[in-house]
Amino acid sequence: MALQRVSFRLRQTVACARSIHTSGCRHLQEALAVEPERNPEPFSIFRTQESDPACQLENHVGQYYTLPPAHIQTVFPHGLPARFQLQMKTFNEGCVMVRPPALEVISYLKRADYSKPALRFLFYGVKGSGKTMSLCHTVHYCSTQGWLVVHIPDAHLWVKNCKELLPSSYNGSRFDQPLQATNWLRNFRVTNEQFLSKIQTRHRYVWTKREFTEEGRPLGELVDQGITRVKSSSDVVGAVIKELRLQSGQPEGCFRMAVAVDGLNALWGRSTIKKEDKSPVSIEELTLMHNLRKLVKNDWCGGAIITALSQTGSLYTPKTAYLPHVLLGEEGFDRMDPFVPVTVSNYSEKEFESCYLYYQDRQWLQHPQSRTEEGKKELVFMSNRNPSALERLCAFL
Amino acid sequence: MASYRGPKGGSLKYCHIFKMAASITGLLKPWTPRVILVRWSRYNPYYLEPEIQREAYSVPDTELTTEEKQQRELKELRPIKAATSGITSSVFSDPVLSKFINMIMKGGDKVLAKNIMTDTLEHVKRKQVEKYHKAPQGKGEDIECNPYTIFHQALDNCKPVIGLASIQKGGKFYQVPIPLTDNRRRFLAMKWIITECRENRHRRTHLYEKLSQELLAAFVKEGNVIKKKHELHKMAESNRAYAHYRWW
Repeated sequence: MALQRVSFRLRQTVACARSIHTSGCRHLQEALAVEPERNPEPFSIFRTQESDPACQLENHVGQYYTLPPAHIQTVFPHGLPARFQLQMKTFNEGCVMVRPPALEVISYLKRADYSKPALRFLFYGVKGSGKTMSLCHTVHYCSTQGWLVVHIPDAHLWVKNCKELLPSSYNGSRFDQPLQATNWLRNFRVTNEQFLSKIQTRHRYVWTKREFTEEGRPLGELVDQGITRVKSSSDVVGAVIKELRLQSGQPEGCFRMAVAVDGLNALWGRSTIKKEDKSPVSIEELTLMHNLRKLVKNDWCGGAIITALSQTGSLYTPKTAYLPHVLLGEEGFDRMDPFVPVTVSNYSEKEFESCYLYYQDRQWLQHPQSRTEEGKKELVFMSNRNPSALERLCAFL
Repeated sequence: MASYRGPKGGSLKYCHIFKMAASITGLLKPWTPRVILVRWSRYNPYYLEPEIQREAYSVPDTELTTEEKQQRELKELRPIKAATSGITSSVFSDPVLSKFINMIMKGGDKVLAKNIMTDTLEHVKRKQVEKYHKAPQGKGEDIECNPYTIFHQALDNCKPVIGLASIQKGGKFYQVPIPLTDNRRRFLAMKWIITECRENRHRRTHLYEKLSQELLAAFVKEGNVIKKKHELHKMAESNRAYAHYRWW
């Protein structure tokens, strides 16, 4: 009788190890009467329980880890791609795949010497290969390690479709973008709440005849000033960047700064914003971009600069361009040099399998043919294992 | 024997067979029928339909019946029509869905129509999968997440069973209930869904949103199209007395 029960359990274990579908694992749970806190899917090949990016290793490559909901609200108020946010809303969870480019950059960040000038990393690859997601994975690591994260989700948004362009009060030849600056400051405040009271200003800033910020005030006051007084928000962004650059390397500052810029090629490209006399505005004439260029320069220590290229939102670049030399241009490449280039390629076979199984698990692949071998071969062929192409294909299947 | 060149200029392998059937050779010239067919196929009836399904080619010779073997030999000799760009040998292709896409299409823009349809299916699936994931443990199984089953079921629910025809009798026109063919029923269901979506919504919503709302409503037998179908049935029921005016 006992032997029968043991063999029954062993058969169930084997069956569950073969089947990836969660319902099989739940039956196993009930049969073995395991305590309820234990994770509900112990045998998933495509999921890992390791949700701390610092502890993820090469054997986790291809597996999905879940972003804790609290982290999503604080770390990524504006960083994640739009389609991924839609996916998070649909699946009721945010799962990111652990991939080699992000792991590589995280390993460099673990071993870097932070008394030297900031290291610069650049994610590049074909369209839809996962550069922004790798950047977000690295930003999540930096955030869990307690760094201060300055995340510009898409620099291209600051050089096009500008509704309001004001002449800058600080420098007459430059232009301010109050709406974009205020929006960014709000998200910056959400991400870095804990640092806003700890960091003190080192200079005195005068905004108008009656408004000024004294030395030694907390950074939070500066940020609030920018959010409430929309007209001076671009200058506030410049001031915040200056303060952070000065203080990140200091031993008494005790914080490390991670600068994450997506769409880096916007800094050295062209803009479609026009002045009132219909002449185009150059990137140098925009306050926000001017300050961003200063931030990305590696003349400060105590942190890292992680960037990603993007052809999708870029202006006046051909669709097929993806290499750093082509997208950044001569000037951009010379300014960014030296940097660590990291290739982000399409899914490998293992990663594709993992993605396929994840979509099946989340009830996303509904077409009966998509679960057959023929359908899978067709998906591989049509998407060429490109992550975003696969996502768009599976969306309607 | 002069080697005959087919209408497209390609030479045929077994032209000596055509020497015998001189009348058939005459038919292969650019063929204009007595009654001009404006919208229908302009192909010579001698041309055969192409075989799209991949499975038909993987059957080995041993498993074919004699008729199928004869059909294969015929296909080696006769010219084949070119396949239209709307059909694929993909495992995901669906003829009913292709028809619906053709009906959405305006001005020959198939790309836009297909994108609208894929957006509709994605939208429907997203709503259902979101419900599935937010539902408590037991209720999830009842929610239908497959957009294709929802589409087919909604279409079936919108198909009218009986139609009306305007028949003249004694100087007046009467609305007479008539049976409908399957094609006509499917066409009416699709036409009603598309016109209803185009007309009765706020002009700033996307067509895929409107379509997805209407399909989900028709799936549970609610919505304006189902109402229209019921009204047609009621009209047919009320005009039962004139049913004998139909002569076919």
